[in-house]
Formats: sequence, C-alpha cells, structure tokens
Amino acid sequence: MKKRYWRCFVCNDVHYGIAPPELCPTCKVLHAYVEITAAEARKILGGGADVDLAPADFRQAIERFAAGNEFMVNPDAERVETLLQGIFENEKNHGLKYCPCRLRTKDWDEDLRIICPCNFTIHETYKGVPDGECWCGLFVRRK
Amino acid sequence: MSKLIMFHGRECPHCRRMMPLIEKLEGETAVRFDKREIWHDEKNADLMRSYKPVITAKCGGQLRVPTFINTETNDVICGEVEYDKLKAWALKE
Repeated sequence: MKKRYWRCFVCNDVHYGIAPPELCPTCKVLHAYVEITAAEARKILGGGADVDLAPADFRQAIERFAAGNEFMVNPDAERVETLLQGIFENEKNHGLKYCPCRLRTKDWDEDLRIICPCNFTIHETYKGVPDGECWCGLFVRRK
Repeated sequence: MSKLIMFHGRECPHCRRMMPLIEKLEGETAVRFDKREIWHDEKNADLMRSYKPVITAKCGGQLRVPTFINTETNDVICGEVEYDKLKAWALKE
C-alpha cells in the first residue's frame, strides 16, 4: 500500500505512513490525524526549526537508538569514524544519509531502505547470526 | 579495460580492508582489477547500476560494496572475502 501524509490537527505533528496513528505521540490526542498533501507536509516540515545534526550529534542519536535494542554501535571507533564520514558525505552529495557500503539504485522507494540506520535486522548478515552486524558494520549484535 | 571490476566506496571499511589484498593479488599474478569508486563518481555509479540484475542476485538483493564482477561471465562476489577465495575467483576461467 502506498504511504501518504497525515497531520495532527492539534499539534501539527506530521506522519508519513499507510494509515494515521491512532494516538498522536506528541500531544497524546486520539484520532487527531487528517490526511494532507505531500506539498503541505513539506511546507510544515520545512518551516519548522532547522535541526542540524553534526556527526557527533548523529553518533549520540544512534547510541540512544541502539540503547533500546539488542544491538549496539560498533566498539571499533576507527570503523565508526570512517562510516560517519561516508554517511555525511552522502548526505551532502546525494541528499540523504545513504549507507557508504551500498549504492543508490535511483528508485526513490528502494533507496529509502539504505538510509542509515537501515532495517538491517532482516538482512542475512544479522538475522539469526550470533555475532551479526549490519552490512557496513556500524551496528553489531550486543553480546 | 580489465574484465574484472571492483566496485568500492571511499568510506566503506570493507572496501578499505580489501584494497591491500587486491594489490597483493595484482603483485603476485597478472590479474588486474578495474577499480571503480561509486559514491564520488557518478559514471562509476551508473556503471555499477548497469549490472544491477547480476549483482543483486548475488548480493542480498542490493547493490553492495565491495563487489567484484567478471564482466565476461557475469560472475559476482561481494563483501569481504579471504585472499585465497578472491584469488581463486579471479583466476577462474
């Protein structure tokens, strides 16, 4: 099913998905989402505060993301540094934080799957592998 | 152009680890790789995309680096591989 855009009529949170959230995660109001156009979504999101995530901030963001999961950021600091360089180079040159160890196909939906962090938990390098890791090695299964 | 292409990314750690093995192989044998960096050179990226059906069939359904392809046989391996395996693959007729 095709994903669409939804706006919370109370707090203007924007959701991109096949259905609106039942509960707004920000203002906690039930049944608050109304469908909007992609152009409206872009205007709402583009008009908000400009949040700039430097590599160090992104590093903290993925640490917090991993903290609630069965994986962690790779303890190999040099590898992580190299990958963060690539991720930010790709964002600068190609628009999004694409994985440095894969390539865009130029199909928009397909390429959304290689934005870091990607859903590597379904990949053969991680799923069911005791010492599994994502393809690039940024995330590794927690021991 | 060599029939063997290595697609790699400048900031890909797997690719960096494979580079010394490629140099060793080229030093020990007549094998030569046409090394194509794919994130900072769009022509190289397009070349890799042109092999998408062949590469994705062997690489988890994706365009991953490093990828090694024999352009005559469409034989593909991707990811970090041990030296002996890489050598055997490269020397395979």
